[in-house]
Amino acid sequence: MILLFLTSGLFLGWSLGANDASNVFGSAVGSKMVSFRKAAIIASVFVILGAVLQGTGASDTLGKLGAVNAIGGSFTVAMAAAVTVYLMTKFAIPVSTTQAIVGAIIGWNLFTGNPTDSRTLLQIVSTWLTGPVIGAVFAVLLYMLLKAIKRNSNIHLVRFESRIRTGLILVGAFGAYSLGANNIANVMGVFVPAFNLQEINLGIFTLSSSQQLFLLGGMAIAAGILTYSNRVIEVVGSNIIELSSEAALVVVLSQALVLFIFSSSTLSSLLVSINLPPVPLVPVSSTQVIVGSVIGIGLYKGARNINFRVLGEIGIGWIATPVFSGLLAFFSLFFVKNIFSIDVGRKTVPGMAPGFQNGGAAAVDPGISGIMLYLLPGLLIAGSFGVLLYYFFERKRRNEIKKSEEKFWKYIK
Amino acid sequence: MALFTRTTKNLILKIDEFFDNIDIGLLVFREGVKAYLDNDMESFNRHVQKVEALEKSADMLQRSIENEMITHSILPQHRAEVTSLIDVLDEIIDSIKSTLNEFSIEMPDIPSSLNHNFISIMESSVCAGEELIPAARAYFKAPYTVREKLLKVYYFESETDKISRFTQRIVFQDMKELDLAHKAHLRYIIHHIENISDTAQKAADLLSAMAIKIVM
Repeated sequence: MILLFLTSGLFLGWSLGANDASNVFGSAVGSKMVSFRKAAIIASVFVILGAVLQGTGASDTLGKLGAVNAIGGSFTVAMAAAVTVYLMTKFAIPVSTTQAIVGAIIGWNLFTGNPTDSRTLLQIVSTWLTGPVIGAVFAVLLYMLLKAIKRNSNIHLVRFESRIRTGLILVGAFGAYSLGANNIANVMGVFVPAFNLQEINLGIFTLSSSQQLFLLGGMAIAAGILTYSNRVIEVVGSNIIELSSEAALVVVLSQALVLFIFSSSTLSSLLVSINLPPVPLVPVSSTQVIVGSVIGIGLYKGARNINFRVLGEIGIGWIATPVFSGLLAFFSLFFVKNIFSIDVGRKTVPGMAPGFQNGGAAAVDPGISGIMLYLLPGLLIAGSFGVLLYYFFERKRRNEIKKSEEKFWKYIK
Repeated sequence: MALFTRTTKNLILKIDEFFDNIDIGLLVFREGVKAYLDNDMESFNRHVQKVEALEKSADMLQRSIENEMITHSILPQHRAEVTSLIDVLDEIIDSIKSTLNEFSIEMPDIPSSLNHNFISIMESSVCAGEELIPAARAYFKAPYTVREKLLKVYYFESETDKISRFTQRIVFQDMKELDLAHKAHLRYIIHHIENISDTAQKAADLLSAMAIKIVM
């Protein structure tokens, strides 16, 4: 039953993987620098790693905005966000899962009578503006650096493109890691206060309750990447292909850096230790950071034809997404509570841990931890099998190409 | 990754070897025409054979470069232009081969008074081709310098046109002793030699556009 409640989060994760993987590998695959199969495998692995290893920071901030303290509430909130993302995508409005989930959490706060922490809300909303701006600044600086290196090194174009290809794979992996670390909060953040799973000790490391949820969410994102992102990449990638390969590398790197900065608790503590303000650990929209980076490069190159329509659509998205998602969450919670009689959460008592706000009724299911215990080795075995299979097919393909080449040259001679 | 590095290295070597073939082809053409005008047929035939070998090698390299770029998805964004450039450069060595073959088969009777003019046309046309090769190499290593290198190609192409027009005027207006068929044959040979610089100019136009695209 508890797993059933997670399905809305997993659906949101799937749609995030299907949509946002194109931000990480879209330009590389669209420009034929990296094959989709290779990109999807790398992105899937690194999204899961980022989610499990570094997903806590941004998730905590979402928890501060509204600690959804019943699994019925978490399910409804995630479902409202997922439906919003789906509908916005259908009407071709650039959508951010971050904005959808923030709107849905505020909807839950309004429904249950919980106050919305205005400081946290301001922190999150300010990153919607600063994220793309920082992305643009990073993109311009990195682009200038790359151009200077290219100009002064006299590197052969073929070798340079080969390095760019390697760079796109590495940066794509970093981007996928940052996407997992930052955006897992959108997918599983609302479930964290409502779930209290048993810790899993794997000898080398232990997986906490939230990390287990993040692993599931990461796998849902990976499933979205593997099953559906190629269709989105075909559309988005061909738009981004207008950029040169080095600009594509810069755009993905600046996006990965921005996402990493807004999810790295280590970096934030480091800044505090040198008496600088901490970085707010909040989920930011990868799509909007990408748009910011592309505009940054466009401005640097002196482009005068910046599409203000796209900027306008993003602005509409900033307002429409959270408002629509919030309203949808509010009315859905009403139906779920009154028609299906499912507990969707109640007003929190200040000073009590989120998991116990419901009179200690946070969902405890040893079954899920048991599933996770078997799922992890299963995942490792499936992953190793997948890599072996990929290697086998790649080798077969190469041999076929080699044979046909030899035949061709024999005939020519 | 090691496999990919090896492919990259091989492709760079093949592109360089292709340019070397065109460069040497131009040198051999120069010596071949001089040998023909000096009536040194043994040396001329040797040069014809040499050019044929170079043209065959350039064709093989051209196919191999295009093949490798497609099969290993190298330079996906510049592949079409690089392929076009290599095609046009191959036209230069094709033109060299066909011109030397015209000399070999048709044995044009060039009056000794025109030897100097023919050498000038040939020199200027070959120089246009020779100046193109460093520009083509620079496209891959220092695209910022391509356009300044191309200025000489345009200069030599225009020089070739001038000398060619001047020589044709002499042939058709001053050399009354030659019959029309002879005059037409000489014009035909001049056009053949001129074709090298025309093709070099075509490649220069292409390179110029390619350089802007890559620098932007």
